[in-house]
This record gives sequence, C-alpha cells and structure tokens, in this order.
Amino acid sequence: MPDPIRVLVVDDEDRFRTTLVKLLGAQGLFAEAASGGEQALALLAEKPFDVVLLDVKMPGESGQEVLPRIKAVAPGVEVLILTGHASVDIAAEMIAGGAADYLLKPCPLDELVGCVRAVYDRRKAVGAG
Amino acid sequence: MKAETPRADPASAAGEPASPPAGKNRPLWLHLVGLPGVTAVAVLSAMVLPIPLAVILALFTASLAAWSAAALASRIRTSEQERCSLDAQLVQSQKLAAIGEMSAGIAHEINNPMAIIAQESDWMTHLMSQPQVTPENLAELRDSLAEIVRQVDRCKAITHNLLNFSRKMDPILQQEHLERIMEDMVLLVEKEAKLQGVSIVRDYDPELAAIQTDVPLLRQVVLNLLLNAFQAIPGQGTITVSTRPAGADRVAIAVADTGAGILPENMSKIFNPFFTTKPPGVGTGLGLSMCHGIVDRLGGAITVESEPGRGAKFTVTLPR
Repeated sequence: MPDPIRVLVVDDEDRFRTTLVKLLGAQGLFAEAASGGEQALALLAEKPFDVVLLDVKMPGESGQEVLPRIKAVAPGVEVLILTGHASVDIAAEMIAGGAADYLLKPCPLDELVGCVRAVYDRRKAVGAG
Repeated sequence: MKAETPRADPASAAGEPASPPAGKNRPLWLHLVGLPGVTAVAVLSAMVLPIPLAVILALFTASLAAWSAAALASRIRTSEQERCSLDAQLVQSQKLAAIGEMSAGIAHEINNPMAIIAQESDWMTHLMSQPQVTPENLAELRDSLAEIVRQVDRCKAITHNLLNFSRKMDPILQQEHLERIMEDMVLLVEKEAKLQGVSIVRDYDPELAAIQTDVPLLRQVVLNLLLNAFQAIPGQGTITVSTRPAGADRVAIAVADTGAGILPENMSKIFNPFFTTKPPGVGTGLGLSMCHGIVDRLGGAITVESEPGRGAKFTVTLPR
C-alpha cells in the first residue's frame, strides 16, 4: 500500500480547516492544519509534506506573502491555492510565484482530492524522471 | 494623516483624454502677445498718422480684438465641455471600480461560509455511509447540522446588510440634540466597554443647539463608530465622544479611540464596502461603508484621522 499523501491545510477559518482535515483523512490522505503562515512554516520545517492547500486572504500574512516563504522552507512541496477570493490577477501572480493550481471555494471534494493527487503524481513523476 | 471619502485613483480611472478638435491647436500667443502688440503699434501710429488713416487703423484693431475675444470664448467653451465629459468618464470609471471591488468582496464573504456548508454536507454523507450509526457519529451529525445553520445565518447577515446598504430611504428629519443621540448609543456600549477595560470620555458642547436630522439613521452611524472604536482597542483604552460647532451652518460629532490606529495603506480603503482587518466571521467590512452612505444621505461628510499605534478619530459633519 503506497504512503498516504501528506497534505497541510493553511486557512484562518477554524471550522473549514478542521472539517477538511477529517474529510481528507476519510479519503485516505494524511492531513494536518495550520491557522496561518507562521504556523504553516513551523510545521513545514518540522516534518515533510507533499501538498499545501493555501488560503489567500488571511489576517497577518496573506497567502501571496507566505507562498515564497513556503517555497524557501520546503522547495519540493506543491502548493495549491484554495480560496474564496475570486481574482484572476492573484491566481496568475501566485501560479507565476510557484503555485501548482488555483481552486475557488466552495470546491467539490472529489475535485479537490483529484487535484491534490494530480499534483502529487506530477511531482513524483518529475522526481523519478 | 487625514483621509477624506475614498475615491478611485483619478489618474488610472480617467483613461486617455479625448483628442482635441480641429482648430483647437491654433497657438495661444496669437491672442496673448499678437493682439496687445498690434494694439500698441496702432496707438503709436495714430499719434503720427493723419486722422482718416488713424480711424481706419483703429477700426482694424477693434475688429482684430473682437475676433480674438470670440476665438478665446469659443476655446473656453470647448475646454469646459471637454472637462465635463472627462468628469463624467471619471465618475463612470469610479463606479465600475467600486462595483468590481464590491463583487470581489461579496464573493469572498459568501464563498467561505458556502465552502463550510459544502464540507459539512460531505462529512454528513460520509458519516451516514458508515455501516453503523454510533452515538459519536450521531453527535457529529448534529454538530454538522448546527454548523450549517450557523453558516447560513452568516450568509443571511451579509445579504441583509447589503440590502440595508442599497435601500434608498429618504431621511425623515426631526429636531434633536446631538448630545442626546450620542448618549443613547454610548449607554448601549458602555457597560460592555467597562467590562473590557475601555472607558468612554464625554466631551459634549453644552451650547450646541438641536439640529434637523434623521435620528434613527444618525444613531446607526454613532453605534457603528462606537463599535468600530471598541473593537480597535485590543486591551485597555479610552474612547472619546464629542460634539462641537463646525462653522456657521454645520455641526460635528467625533468618536476617537486609543486603539491600534489605521495603517497608511488602509486609509484610502477604510470606507470601502467589505474592507476589513478583522478576523473571519467577526467583521463583514460593511459598518464604515454604511456610515459613509448614511452620512452622505444626511447631507454630511465623514473623515478619519489616524496614526498607526496612536488610535483613530472619525469625524462626522452635518448640516444644522
């Protein structure tokens, strides 16, 4: 049985991240959560993750500000933007900054899990190649 | 630092100016230098020329002056028309920018509770697909249902605030003392403020006469400003409420706090709908924009002064 994909959910909405962690767990993924940029960076420095689900609009540092710091701490991790803030400009800016994809809340669970698996498989394929 | 009602950046909003109409590029020096020059030459020549020639010269100079005046008047009219057209374009651009910003704000505020509702539904589906419904699962199902109701209420609060925001209500004017309006709202928040270590200082002008205003609408403004000030103070602090005359035909009320203040980059956005620095679910970013809308309807103006770390002061000026 392959190792479960390790996902870090970074979101300031308490209920959103706790339920998402349970749902991802039920889908066979290993998930943990952080309420903001600083906590996420501390967790990434502490243990390995494959995919980060990153919110954009958060108190303190925004997702746009945290993204380059995540890439500096964990260069191999894939970052998926998951936000309710609909802005093509921000999406383009964050994908240019290294994010793998941009998903808009509310995102159907199967679509979200499919996207997480897809970026994980791509990362593995690139790593193997 | 002082910020008036926020406006879109005129430089970016105005767009490219229209190209000048044909004939407008005629040099201005012809009027400003040429005409006085010709007049001076004519006056000097009239001193030495015979009278008939001097009269002809005077008539020619007068015709030239009349033509110049007509040309200048036409140019001023054209410039005025162009200015009006650019003003209209600017207003339109500002409206579009405000609608765009507001749409993004609504999307964000509604998408977040919707995402939680969708997740709770998914989790309930997952729990109900289990072969056995345990007491723990049943408790989780109840918790998820309660969360869905909470998030629906959150959406409802946003849409209801928006409806209040957009409703066009003609103010119903009545005579009332500003101090009375302020004090009614101060008493509402003072008890809670005291419990949190925030004291309210009154600085009312006792000489200020009653004004004609829409009392319920102005109460709403004062309450929003007080709550905003209260929430801006992280620990202990002071809110100062004041009334004073503002010139011969206006009065001013102010709510000042000793809170965190407003960052310079946020000053121009502070009255924008959905702009908030509060955590999710705490502020919708509609309070100050509603204040701005109400004050505007009452024929007044709202301004804010702030230094980061040294509190903020909101001042509302109103007609007497």
